Amino acid sequence: MRRVWAVIRREFVERLRSRWFWISAVLGPLFFGAMIFLPLLFTGSGGIKRIVVIDGTTTRFGARVADSLDRGSTFAVVARMPLRAGLVDSLARQVGLHRLEGLLLVTDATIETGAAEYRAANVSAFRDVAELQGVLGRLAVNERLERAGVDPATVSRAQLRIKLETKKIAGAKTTGESSAESFSLAYVMAIVSFVAIAVYGVNVMSSVLEEKTTRIVEVLVSSLPAFQLMLGKVLGVGAVSIFQFMVWGLGGRLLLSQRAALAGRLAPLDSEPAVFQMPRLSAATIAIFLSYFLGGFLLYSAMFAAVGAMSSNEQEARQAQQPVMFLLMLAYLSVFALAGDPASTYSIALSLIPFTAPIAMPVRWAAGSVARSEVAASLALLVGGIAVVTWVAARIYRVGILMTGKRPNLRELARWVRA
Amino acid sequence: MAPPVIVLDRVAKRFAGHTAVDALSLEVSAGLIYGLLGPNGAGKTTTIRMIMGIIEPDQGAVRLFGDQTRMANRARNHSARIGYLPEERGLYRKMRVLDVLVFLAEMKGVERRVARVKATEWLERLGLSDWRLRRIDELSKGMQQKVQFISTILHQPELVVLDEPFAGLDPVNTQVLKDTVLELRRHGVTILFSTHIMEQAEKLCDELCIIARGRRLVEGALSDIKRTHSGHHLTIGFDGSPGAATQIFADKALVKKIDDYGQYAELELAVGADPQQILRELIGSGARLSRFELTEPSLNKIFIDLVGPEAARAEARPGA
Repeated sequence: MRRVWAVIRREFVERLRSRWFWISAVLGPLFFGAMIFLPLLFTGSGGIKRIVVIDGTTTRFGARVADSLDRGSTFAVVARMPLRAGLVDSLARQVGLHRLEGLLLVTDATIETGAAEYRAANVSAFRDVAELQGVLGRLAVNERLERAGVDPATVSRAQLRIKLETKKIAGAKTTGESSAESFSLAYVMAIVSFVAIAVYGVNVMSSVLEEKTTRIVEVLVSSLPAFQLMLGKVLGVGAVSIFQFMVWGLGGRLLLSQRAALAGRLAPLDSEPAVFQMPRLSAATIAIFLSYFLGGFLLYSAMFAAVGAMSSNEQEARQAQQPVMFLLMLAYLSVFALAGDPASTYSIALSLIPFTAPIAMPVRWAAGSVARSEVAASLALLVGGIAVVTWVAARIYRVGILMTGKRPNLRELARWVRA
Repeated sequence: MAPPVIVLDRVAKRFAGHTAVDALSLEVSAGLIYGLLGPNGAGKTTTIRMIMGIIEPDQGAVRLFGDQTRMANRARNHSARIGYLPEERGLYRKMRVLDVLVFLAEMKGVERRVARVKATEWLERLGLSDWRLRRIDELSKGMQQKVQFISTILHQPELVVLDEPFAGLDPVNTQVLKDTVLELRRHGVTILFSTHIMEQAEKLCDELCIIARGRRLVEGALSDIKRTHSGHHLTIGFDGSPGAATQIFADKALVKKIDDYGQYAELELAVGADPQQILRELIGSGARLSRFELTEPSLNKIFIDLVGPEAARAEARPGA
């Protein structure tokens, strides 16, 4: 056991000594923050879109649409033109020359059948399209109701927006967490888990590879069993990852405690506190996140260790790790589906399968509440999965670390496992 | 008498299609330097890996320090008593010299504190103390080899197993290694090393085993092996013309092969030929002799005689 301890210690100390650990300790949160918040930040800040409204209506509807859009913060209506032949084409050329963002075509048919047309350089900008649809819809409804003889005052009263307040119920207690907060928490946890498992898993892989290519492994396995060596490695790198989280956690706490002081200096950040509200992290959430992260790390690092053992150089290892990476990405790519409907059969299945559970379960947990029995079942399956995968990986590892020459094919791998 | 340190009992190992080691038996007695000799691909490294418990033999048994148990991790049970230098060398490139030595000693069960002290001592002794806090990849190749050798013997093993220890060493480091090996033996350490360089084996080995294609060709004390192979070589010097002596050399019953230099000849005797008979016949022929000497063949010569045909076959095997 003392030898395993020495292996753990070496992995831990050497990694902490490396410059990269501290660089990532500092840059990690910045990187995650950027990955999470930059898209949010830029979604609303595409600048004001200059558009032309082509009015093909015989009523005041077109003008109302243009006024309403112009009042909003998304569009600037630079011109309103009546519909005539060739106009659309000449404006399209302006769009092509980037003098205009787009053109909106409204006609009487918009009110009657709901048909309108928006031609623009960028029609996949969800916010723009949503805004157009909102304005057109509201005005079209007004117009239709007025035509049917309803009093405009009644119409505007009828259109009072609903403010739906969302609060998550977790374990029969209503929390103060809104749906946006729940989602961002789920998203953050998925990103952090995914990146950390991938990064530290690859760390285990390169450590195995280093010992294999330098042949130190021969000296080591003549002193301790291959399984203990692999175990020591995985635990050592795992300890580094936990330590990394602690550094981030403490750093985060420190930053939060100084939030007021910082906000004073960074005034613009303070102006939008609603967007950057830190989701509350309950002890249970942290426990779930950490246990699933650890489980995922153990599961995947065993696989990465086997990949390192069966390769004879970095290049081979990079190729051989791809299937493992794909497996890991499966749950990560499903984050939106998971957070969108945490109770769907798909979400439940992903949170039970050991390979996807480490990411899927924390996401479900954050996005909606999950029954304790489900967490227990998922954890039990994960532990079982770790046991099986580690057993197989250790057998591949044991043979692989002493093999040189070409990478084994699947049949040879199967033979190693059976041997 | 102390039991042999290493016993291989009809050990065999096969790898996908070819037999690397075939029913190999040998015994290494305590306190000796034992050479495992053979051409490339003879099965030396496989044999050593089986001794070290890195791979398991398919058949036969390996016993260390008289341990009768046939446990899979036999070498690991004794790993604190064994120092091992693998054939291909390498160390953790990014680690500091001292840390590498301490870590590898810990693997052999040495306490950290003790390991630090010993590592420092050895580094000083081999002239590396200024480098102890430097990273391995800052060291020259020769220095790295020294560090690795220190790691092999730092935990004061009773048995040191060196796989091709002289490969890639410059003359200075070769000398350092040789001196250290001899000093270890003076302290009662048993040393097993493999090589295909016969000059070194001849200078160092007390006992040896020559293998080829996984099979043992000869085993025993170097002096015994030389004795059994000597008496077959004769060097003769003439004072003046050899005269009728050349007729004696032509007798196939006496002489198998001759290198005739006129005034001087090297003879390989035929099987069963008696050198004394040749001496009598030479004197009878009236030739004047300045030299008549039964020469010991060099280990190199014995090796080539034994292994030559085997090696030629081994070369033909792909992936050897």
